[in-house]
Amino acid sequence: MGDLFRSQEMTLCQLFLQAEAAYACVSELGELGLVQFRDLKPDTNAFQRKFVNEIRRCDEMERKLRYLEKEIRKDGIPILDTGDNPEAPNPREMVDLEATLEKLENELREVNAYAESLKKNFLELTELKHILRKTQTFFEEALHDQHMTEEAVGLMTEEGMMAGGQAAGLRLQSVAGVILRERLPAFERMLWRVCRGNVFLKQAEIDTALEDPATGDKVLKSVFIIFFQGEQLKTRVKKICEGFRATLYPCPDSQAERREMAISVMTRIEDLNTVLNTTVDHRMRVLMAAAKNLRLWFIKVGKIKAIYHTLNMFNVEATNKCLIAEAWCAVDDLDKIHLALRRGTERAGSSIPPILNRMSTREMPPTYFRVNKLTSGFQSIIDAYGVASYREANPSPFAIVTFPFLFAVMYGDFGHGTLMFLAALWMVLREKQLAPTAKLSEIWATFFNGRYIILMMGAFSIYTGLIYNDCFSRSVNIFGSGWSVRGQFNQSLTPDQIRTQVRGIESLQLNPNDAQAKAWRANPYPFGLDPVWQVSGNKITFTNSIKMKTSVVLGVIHMLFGVFVSLTNHLHRRDMLSVVGEFVPQVLFLLGMFGYLVILILYKWAVYSGRNSNCAPNLLIGLINMFLFRYDKATNGCPPIYTGYQGLQTFLVLLIIPCAPWMLLVKPLILRRRQQMLARGGAMMGQQHPQPQMQPDAGVDGGDQTELGMGQQQDGGNNIHDGDKAVDMGAGYGDHGEEVDIGEVFVHQAIHTIEYCLSCISNTASYLRLWALSLAHAQLSEVLWGMVLAIGLKREGFGGCLALFVAFSFWALLTVVVLLLMEGLSAFLHALRLHWVEFMNKFYKGEGYKFEPFSFARAELEM
Amino acid sequence: MFSESMFSVDAGYLEGLARGFKGGILKKTDYYNLTQCETLEDLKLHLQSTDYGHFLANEAGPLTVSVIEERLKEKLIIEFNHLRTQATGYLAEFMDYITYSYMIDNVVLLLSGILHDRPIKEMLAKCHPMGTFEQMEAIHIATTTRELYDAVLVDTPLAPYFADCINEEDLNEMNIEIIRNTLYKAYLEDFSAFCQQIGGTTAEVMQEVLAFEADRRAFMITINSFGTELLKEDRKKLYPACGRLYPGGLEMLAQAEEVEQVKLVADYFAEYRVMFEDDGTGMDKTLEDKFFEHEVRLNVRAFMQQFHYGVFYSLVKLKEQEIRNIVWIAECVSQRHRAKIEAYIPILE
Repeated sequence: MGDLFRSQEMTLCQLFLQAEAAYACVSELGELGLVQFRDLKPDTNAFQRKFVNEIRRCDEMERKLRYLEKEIRKDGIPILDTGDNPEAPNPREMVDLEATLEKLENELREVNAYAESLKKNFLELTELKHILRKTQTFFEEALHDQHMTEEAVGLMTEEGMMAGGQAAGLRLQSVAGVILRERLPAFERMLWRVCRGNVFLKQAEIDTALEDPATGDKVLKSVFIIFFQGEQLKTRVKKICEGFRATLYPCPDSQAERREMAISVMTRIEDLNTVLNTTVDHRMRVLMAAAKNLRLWFIKVGKIKAIYHTLNMFNVEATNKCLIAEAWCAVDDLDKIHLALRRGTERAGSSIPPILNRMSTREMPPTYFRVNKLTSGFQSIIDAYGVASYREANPSPFAIVTFPFLFAVMYGDFGHGTLMFLAALWMVLREKQLAPTAKLSEIWATFFNGRYIILMMGAFSIYTGLIYNDCFSRSVNIFGSGWSVRGQFNQSLTPDQIRTQVRGIESLQLNPNDAQAKAWRANPYPFGLDPVWQVSGNKITFTNSIKMKTSVVLGVIHMLFGVFVSLTNHLHRRDMLSVVGEFVPQVLFLLGMFGYLVILILYKWAVYSGRNSNCAPNLLIGLINMFLFRYDKATNGCPPIYTGYQGLQTFLVLLIIPCAPWMLLVKPLILRRRQQMLARGGAMMGQQHPQPQMQPDAGVDGGDQTELGMGQQQDGGNNIHDGDKAVDMGAGYGDHGEEVDIGEVFVHQAIHTIEYCLSCISNTASYLRLWALSLAHAQLSEVLWGMVLAIGLKREGFGGCLALFVAFSFWALLTVVVLLLMEGLSAFLHALRLHWVEFMNKFYKGEGYKFEPFSFARAELEM
Repeated sequence: MFSESMFSVDAGYLEGLARGFKGGILKKTDYYNLTQCETLEDLKLHLQSTDYGHFLANEAGPLTVSVIEERLKEKLIIEFNHLRTQATGYLAEFMDYITYSYMIDNVVLLLSGILHDRPIKEMLAKCHPMGTFEQMEAIHIATTTRELYDAVLVDTPLAPYFADCINEEDLNEMNIEIIRNTLYKAYLEDFSAFCQQIGGTTAEVMQEVLAFEADRRAFMITINSFGTELLKEDRKKLYPACGRLYPGGLEMLAQAEEVEQVKLVADYFAEYRVMFEDDGTGMDKTLEDKFFEHEVRLNVRAFMQQFHYGVFYSLVKLKEQEIRNIVWIAECVSQRHRAKIEAYIPILE
């Protein structure tokens, strides 16, 4: 709680690292993940930094790894993931790694080039095979189809070429080839145009898809054969073929030659196949070996790269022997960091230990909360609004309780809550197995990351559901109702007989004041809502009144709590002026108006019962009248709410009204006075009043130094000097703070005051959403019950079975989709709003920035 | 007919994307950093920190300018195709129009390649990928313009533009230039008419950009024609008639015989006068560079308005200018010719 309430105390450190040991030290710090390095050379280009060559080498290695990965995936070999996390290798090992990858890549490229040429060969041969097969059919058709030969003859004679019968067909020259199927239509059209229709094209599709040797994609192709006459046409046809990237193959004219060629092609294909298989096997072996180490290599290279990136942010000392880094880290972690640095030095075999100094700075440190699985979800809800300013009160520890609670007030249903709780419980119990799946889908990840929130929301909904006595819109009678209809019937009837009689009656009045009927047994239902209300006609009227008032009570308590959290902020900053000038009037304003209303609500619940309910005052009208000082004389014979209420209410109003100018004026006026005194009294005043903005312990901490080993004397001297400077700077800053334009302070304060006063009223009204959503939820689930499931339940016999089956599945589906998911989301959003706006605007600034330590684990996540 | 209120139904998403891509255009500081580079590796490292990201990360071996250029173009094409495949209706047609100018360039490039008996493969590699079309590779069967039209261009969208230059003459150097300019003239006029047909802000924005393009061509044709055997009447036929020079300015340009006379024509138009003036800063910027700068200004301005298709045109033109800039800087870096490295055209502040 303490850790979560205020962010970790941070400090800016200066690190002096031996040039040789820097790599190992940063590597250790990366494993630790507790240090956020600052870029000391933000103006320098990426390529002008010191370790740019090392980063380039890493890029090159990554490129090779990606190439390997691509090849491995292409062959569908699984990449081994052992889950180990190797340490960043030494710079020396980097060379070995580079050599290994280089060798692998070359080997693979060689194999690929060889395989590609083989495949190309193979493709050509297969295409030739197809051509021979298809052209065979063309020629056969030509021989047998009488019609076609006649046409050919006709063509011949027209051209004036003398020849007879089948011989004429053979005189034509032909070109055969293979073309991509999608290019065929354009190809055909162009052939027609260019040759003016003097060519004859015959095509057939190749049924099996062929592999493109360069890309490995499957492509569909067609075989074509073109008949034409004369040399001029031949060159044109060839040019077009080239233009459309058709591959041409020699196709002998006589059948015998074609057959011979086909046989030789087949044998060559078979030979090629065996060679191809051995090549593929070799490639497989190479890739299999690589797949085993690929992940480790990726991690190693990633770590090296991260380290050099970090080293690039450091300053190099003039003598080049030492790297100077600046980093933010938590004060509590300093020991761990020291240890890591020592380990790093030992690893590097360096004799000179690194030096770590704490520095003082005027810069706002980053905000760092130590979160765990449970709190991280709530913290991210708060961060989504704005990261807390440094050391500001953090609403998230309270949100762990209030958030699910406010959600549950709106969502209160025992049944729905249980379902939600179980779903979340499943996620929580199986989180180890489920964690990897969260990366796959963003929507699922949202639910999964919020599993603890959902778990809490479910648990709280069960509780509120029990209080509302709602389970899928039904009530459960556990303890026995406090109301009875027995008194209205003849005492001699058995309960069964009364039951049948009651069923016949349209509506039954239960009057608590009727002493004879004894409808009210005077022992209230011990926990939650009496189940009798479930069947009563005025259930809504009754629950509305309760829920509305509860909402206001909860809201005012929540807001008041928020104001008190702001007190802790003021106290933490030792800012008494704000306590007096802001906190006190704020509390009085809120308590005087709505605190009083809450007391009245509780009082009314306690004092008024069925007997004197007609005298119960209307609180809202009463509140309005209180501000108008209007007190009606006519009381209809009822006693006043309590004696002397008029006097107290007048006092409260008179107390509230000055609160507004108090908030508005006191703080700026005092500030102005201080400034004037400062101007008169000189610097003396400034030292006597340490300003709230200044870190009270900055001067002390600046002098505090922690270091290892040698160079103590000299550095100690330096640090004391630093400490002095820090005090100077702090004072300077304080002075500077005073010089802020007073007009600006006034305007700021005016806005703040108006906002607070108005928001007190509007925010209280805003909490009524608790009632509205709870009502909506209850009504929706009741409608779903009445309109869907009840219909199925009312039927009898076999048909009833079937109807119930259908109705239940429908009801279950709608329950999950509408009530659990949609309503749950809506209640979630409203709970979120109540926190962000109504609660957090009382104290939360959210102007900080997040602590983002240099960490390998984090870098890996981003990969 | 065209209502801005309905614009986003079809093109809102794409406009958003286009504006996003525009956001990735290199800024002044990026260029400043690029010009600081010592080697192409430095250049690559810096480009990694921009929107280009890891576009060069998978290149094995030493980087060359041509690899960089190829990858830059590839990235432009990917972005453009991404937009084009999702475009419908007028926008789809509009984006096709953008590619036509690249087609014209490719046709002319291939023709001149044929004229000099260069292998077609080599020429294809030089073609802009934006203007590829199916029949492109078979272009070398053409020896006369009629054949070119009948065999190759008749199926492409360029066919109607080509109608004016069909004759039986054999192709020669002069011919090809005339073909290029005739095609461009017809293209610009057609594009301009199409934008007017779309109407609305698109017409307004595109009118300005295309008018400038037309005028620039007219000036360049005139200046380049001095000292060639092109007749004045023929030259006049090449001027695109959709610019601000039309009709009076073109009439005067047609009579021009030397650069001074062109200058006189430009004097009548405020925005062109400055192009021909010596700005006196001693920086000897070429006329072409000044035209480029003006074009960039116009295209950046196109982004000031919303709900029009002009952003797509301007995006392509700006990206193209950016590619030219990066290639220029890369050339300078690789040839260690630092004196001229600053001669790129800055796009965004």
